[in-house]
Amino acid sequence: MSHHPATAPAAPGLQIDAVNFAYSGTPILSSIDLDIAAGSFVSLLGPSGCGKTTLLRLLAGLELPQSGRLAWQGRPLAGPSLDRGVVFQDYSLFPWMTLAENVELALAKADPHSDLRQRRAAAAEFLGLVGLDSATAKYPYELSGGMQQRGAIARTFALGSPVLLMDEPFGALDPLNRAKIQDLLLAIWSGSNPRKTVVFVTHDIEEAIYLSDLIVMLGSTPGRVIQQLDVAFPRPRQRRELVRSPEFAALRQRIDERFQQDLIDRIDAESLVTSAAEGI
Amino acid sequence: MSTLSSAAAPLPRTSVSASSAQAASIAAPATVGAPFRPWRLLHGREGAVFLLALLALWLVVSTGLSFSGSYLFPSPWASLKALWISLPELLKGTASSFLILVPGYLLAVVAGIAWGLLVGTVPALHRLFSAFSRLASPIPPTIYIPYAIALLPSFRTAAGFIVFIGAFWPIFLNTAAGAGALPQRYRDNARILGLHGAEYLRRVVFPAALPHIFSGLSVGLVFSFIMLTVAELFGASAGLGRFIQLYADYADYPRMVAGILYTSVIVLLTTGLLEHVRRRSLFWVR
Repeated sequence: MSHHPATAPAAPGLQIDAVNFAYSGTPILSSIDLDIAAGSFVSLLGPSGCGKTTLLRLLAGLELPQSGRLAWQGRPLAGPSLDRGVVFQDYSLFPWMTLAENVELALAKADPHSDLRQRRAAAAEFLGLVGLDSATAKYPYELSGGMQQRGAIARTFALGSPVLLMDEPFGALDPLNRAKIQDLLLAIWSGSNPRKTVVFVTHDIEEAIYLSDLIVMLGSTPGRVIQQLDVAFPRPRQRRELVRSPEFAALRQRIDERFQQDLIDRIDAESLVTSAAEGI
Repeated sequence: MSTLSSAAAPLPRTSVSASSAQAASIAAPATVGAPFRPWRLLHGREGAVFLLALLALWLVVSTGLSFSGSYLFPSPWASLKALWISLPELLKGTASSFLILVPGYLLAVVAGIAWGLLVGTVPALHRLFSAFSRLASPIPPTIYIPYAIALLPSFRTAAGFIVFIGAFWPIFLNTAAGAGALPQRYRDNARILGLHGAEYLRRVVFPAALPHIFSGLSVGLVFSFIMLTVAELFGASAGLGRFIQLYADYADYPRMVAGILYTSVIVLLTTGLLEHVRRRSLFWVR
């Protein structure tokens, strides 16, 4: 999968050009344009129904757009590929395999020439990375939601994908475990070399701010980009200080107000249509 | 939410009635005038009571009544005695029957699962085979018996073939349905990991379809026994069905009933074994 290293000064990351996607005639995403720099952490933030999961599935190659172009490092996306690993909300692991077997399967796909002994050792290492050393022989149903998601992250790292696509991966977790796994994700992401490109779908504003370099705000019906915001807080980020800082509060409020504005715009647009209809 | 509450509903109801039944049986002697409801004592034991009632009916019909056909109803004691006497012959018959059943059934398991996974996964194969399968699967396999006996070199191969046909369709149909209904999440995961072909079938489709496959296996097993015993009635020189047929012909009804009881136990043990394997294999299904 690894071709020539990009010789351009800034390695092109994920590119989305004029992408439209409809599901059985209903527009889901409308003229999406987005550039995601390689090695950055980007959140797709929006209310339910804004098509953020669909956009992630397009990036994964699980869906293909009706029009427009998606590319990774200049190469158009034609389907799923091992250079883009995915963590789903709650079903990334096969329930009939132990954690270790799930990770070993990814390792076997990433390097078909490796032998079982090598894969065993590597699986233990990747599971150790997410703090699951003692649970390698457990089946997913024996694990908490947080442990399953840590296992899913370990599996994606085992795939060796330079791009990590995450679809509300922590949405089902309680706040404490959620905070812990966010910190874990940031730690292993900043430890990855070269640094992985992460696209993280969430509807939680604070989660998006805490994790991201760039927040892409999506509005709904149909899904479209309403604003992109750089998050300039230095890394490594300290949760305690960050959430108390006025800058954090200001950014949160700015995002909140932008979504409120979008909502009001849509209500106005609808009532315009309604009053026009009443005039007929 | 709705599935959750409907699944949870029977539990409190049973526990409430169980505890009230308990309360009634404890409180009944002490509380004067409390209505005595003996049927509450039956709660949870209905199945055993029904079996005892059947046994009592058998006893009454076979020993208490005297009518022109009463020799057709041997008493439980006579039947048990016949069972004890015939045990060596029945064991030999079991071996003979299983020599037909096991190869026929196992062949159906392998063919039904492999072909079912392919037909459930590859749309072109589904289009190729579904018309034939809809046509052929509802045909009662018993109608092939005379032809199979005429066509195949020995009774054993003919009976094995009939067992195979009887077991194949339920196994194939359930496997194909399970593979065809593969949840989107497993398909997504397999595509993300780049799983294709045989590896995809073996590591994803097969385990995901296992709950369906096991329903097919148990229906197929029951069908195998039916096909086997029917085939043995036609032309076997040994076997369980042959045993029952033989003693019915001799009008030795205690032995015939013993054969029926023995065969039931063998079927129960075999299906119980399969159920055990099912529980062990599907540990991950919650």
